[in-house]
Amino acid sequence: MPRYMVERTFPGGLEIPTTTEGRKAMLGVVENNTVEQVFWVQTFVTDDHSKTFCVYDGPSPEAVRRAAELNGLPVDRISEISVLDPYFYVEK
Amino acid sequence: MLLEREELLGYLADRLVDAASGRGSLVLVAGEAGAGKTSLVRAFVDALDDSPLVLLGACDPLTTPRPLSPVRDFSQQLPGLDLERDPIDVFADILERVRHTIRPVVMVVEDIHWADAATLDFLRYMGRRIGDSKGVLVCTYRDDEVVGTHPARQVLGQLAPLSSTHRLHVPALSIDAVAQLARDTSVDPEELMRLTDGNAFFVTEVLASGGELPATVQEAVLARVSQLGERSRRVVEGVSVAPRSLEIAHALAIADASPDDVDAALSAGVLVGDGHALRFRHELARAAVEDALPPARSLGLHLRMLEILEHDAERDLARIAHHAIRAGRSDLIVEHAPAAGDEAAAKGARYEAVKFYRAALRYPEALGPERTARLHLKLGMELRALDRPGDSEVEVRQAIAGFRRLELVEELANALGQLQASLWNLRRFEEGWAAMNEALQLLESLGVTETLGYTLYRVAHHHMLSRHAAPAFEYVEKARRIGEQLGSRTIAWVSLMMEGTTHIVVGDADRGVELLRRAVAEADRMDNRGFVSAGLGMLGSGGGEARRYEVAIEALQRGIDVALAIDEDYTVAYNRSWLARIAFEQGRWDDAVRYAELVERTTLQREGIAYITAMSALGRVRVRRGDPGAVDLLEEMTALSKSHEVQHGWNAVCGLAEHHWLADRPEAAIGDLEFTYRRALDTDSQWARGEVGFWMWRLGRIQEPPDGAAEPFALQMSGDWEGSAAAWREIGCPYEVATALADGPPEAKLEALDILDRLGARPLGDRIRNELRSQGVDHLPPRPSDRTLANPAGLTDRQLEVLRLIAEGLGNDEIASMLYISKKTVEHHVSAIYTKLGVATRVEAARAAARIGVGNRGVTAPG
Repeated sequence: MPRYMVERTFPGGLEIPTTTEGRKAMLGVVENNTVEQVFWVQTFVTDDHSKTFCVYDGPSPEAVRRAAELNGLPVDRISEISVLDPYFYVEK
Repeated sequence: MLLEREELLGYLADRLVDAASGRGSLVLVAGEAGAGKTSLVRAFVDALDDSPLVLLGACDPLTTPRPLSPVRDFSQQLPGLDLERDPIDVFADILERVRHTIRPVVMVVEDIHWADAATLDFLRYMGRRIGDSKGVLVCTYRDDEVVGTHPARQVLGQLAPLSSTHRLHVPALSIDAVAQLARDTSVDPEELMRLTDGNAFFVTEVLASGGELPATVQEAVLARVSQLGERSRRVVEGVSVAPRSLEIAHALAIADASPDDVDAALSAGVLVGDGHALRFRHELARAAVEDALPPARSLGLHLRMLEILEHDAERDLARIAHHAIRAGRSDLIVEHAPAAGDEAAAKGARYEAVKFYRAALRYPEALGPERTARLHLKLGMELRALDRPGDSEVEVRQAIAGFRRLELVEELANALGQLQASLWNLRRFEEGWAAMNEALQLLESLGVTETLGYTLYRVAHHHMLSRHAAPAFEYVEKARRIGEQLGSRTIAWVSLMMEGTTHIVVGDADRGVELLRRAVAEADRMDNRGFVSAGLGMLGSGGGEARRYEVAIEALQRGIDVALAIDEDYTVAYNRSWLARIAFEQGRWDDAVRYAELVERTTLQREGIAYITAMSALGRVRVRRGDPGAVDLLEEMTALSKSHEVQHGWNAVCGLAEHHWLADRPEAAIGDLEFTYRRALDTDSQWARGEVGFWMWRLGRIQEPPDGAAEPFALQMSGDWEGSAAAWREIGCPYEVATALADGPPEAKLEALDILDRLGARPLGDRIRNELRSQGVDHLPPRPSDRTLANPAGLTDRQLEVLRLIAEGLGNDEIASMLYISKKTVEHHVSAIYTKLGVATRVEAARAAARIGVGNRGVTAPG
């Protein structure tokens, strides 16, 4: 299954409190994703919380878009990605 | 007694209440064999008062099922329902009654895991439309059998997401329930549970066999039968070889028994009465008895059934053929299976027709060489319609060899024409053309024949596919004249259809639309669904190519309904692929993706034009959205399409050109583009010349539009961006409007940006933003991602729409039907809205909507 980087912008900043509410919001996303068979691996967030970079596994970019719509999340750009490991080049 | 089923019964009763107020539903009742699905449905039906109309139907475990068996069952209670009509008309008639009745209607179709193709079409048809009727359609099936490539699985998959579809699962009995059933016996509930896994049928059967716990359930069933007298037992055995049920009169005849013997079998609980017929209480019991029959006894019973059914006034061909096949007697199979196959083929039940023809073809000696050759040809034609051209070729070649040996010249020429059609689907055009030429030579020696007329039409078809106007019209005319000489309605029709098709793709498109509409209407009058489907397919795909979208979409959608009803899987897939391409061109990209994915999931021919057309549309959506996966997909489609005609490949090639142009490396696209451009110039197709020419121009390979390029492309290439934008607006292609506007001054570019942002066309939008910035234009509109969040509370456009409807007091069902999305999707949107607004109820959501200015009237709470 291909891996995608999904870039999103939150001009007002993204806040997810570490409370029951926050937990519920996270679980909601995960549950919605199962409808489209996409899996949220992890997300990197900028310091000002205005941009996120989300790593997703999924069958197609279209499935990632539909999941975003279900979750009410914006999508700026979807790229297919693979891993470059810097230490792979280091002599052992 | 129905243990642990109250909740399921209550659920069914609720569906009936909904149906009475015009909210019908399809209820899929799943469970393993013997779980108690039938008992559940019967308990539901038995508890109804007189108000609903109840229609009971079932599918049969025949080697090859009788087409539309449940609908035939229904018809006994639907006066005036004419089953001899087209299945689609029969379905529409039933739907009409269920929509306009005063009483709610409960329709039961049992055992759809045995359904024939036509019955599955019925379920698909009703399932999609039942939501606004007064019907509850209850279907039972064994979910452990509907797996893998089972034909019912696809239908269930299509119906499951609809908000009017409900699923019930009948679980195994719990140990408590088993203990309660075994209460007054000496049987150990734990042992009973171990033997039966809580299977309701097994539990009751084992308990009824009395005394000791048997080693197997089959033993339990046979133990009950063995307690019967000799003649009663013969009745039971007779019923066991009849799938589903056996008429009482036939049962008496086959067992040489008296009504008392039947009564004995009934009162022992081995058989149950079902109107004028007898059946086992469960299919598992029938199978147990049939499996235990000695071979000679089984053969004798099948032969006797054949004899009885042959003298029956109704002459049920599928049932007769079933017993012939089970008896394994070649003389009887070749006598009965071909007729059953013809009947199935005429009804459009192609899978069933194939099974019957194959059964007969196992005995070529008994058939004789001429019938064998004819059956091979019929089988080949059915297989081609089922999207299996390779298998079709094998059969048609057998037919050709047979006709050659028998020196049946006209039949041989006809078979060669069929071979060409199968080879075309296999993309072996040269070979097909050779077969066609041989056919023409053979026919010219025979004078004016129907086959000559048909072959001339096929030649015209070939030229139309190559997009060569003059020879296509020439052969259409030749065919038409033969049709006139012979007074043949068939030849007249195919000529009319081909003239219209040629016009729509390489002639006068308006005239083409008019002729094809006339052809479809004439096919309707002739009551020939194959012709209706062919005419609609040409109007849809040709209309799409000529960008007559409204006409095309209507034809494609009706074409899909008709093709589904006659198992033309190839046409279904091809029509859907054109819906994908049209949706792409109209900027309805979510729809384009959905159609393309549907084709990908359902088409068998991974190299065929339906797949290429659908995947090219998907690839082009990715290009225009800037999504990954576009290049690989379009390169694959470009490679596949090289052995097809140019019209099947130009979309993928232009998509690649667009992608590389957007990425500022146009040289990567040149090779394929120039090859395709040369091919386009070898046609009379203005849209091929226009679109491929446009990309040649955009990449700087040509300076002027080629002759005969379609107007909107030609205008833009000539520098008239305004005229081009107006032409595209008229046709209804928003992305192309923006592309033309982008060639204009800054005001036009800003207008283009607005269109592109709404489409979600990021790459071209970014490109135009850069151009504007370098031209010194400030105040660019914010990028759409920033704007989405300018929506109140960070809701997406779709969520705002849903919130507005919530604020108007609509329920999820109503919202789903207003927005044409499933109820499940609405529920997801609603929960996302709640989270973002920090609310927990609809009333709170409506208040929040008023606060942030969404929705407009009457929802502001007091205070």
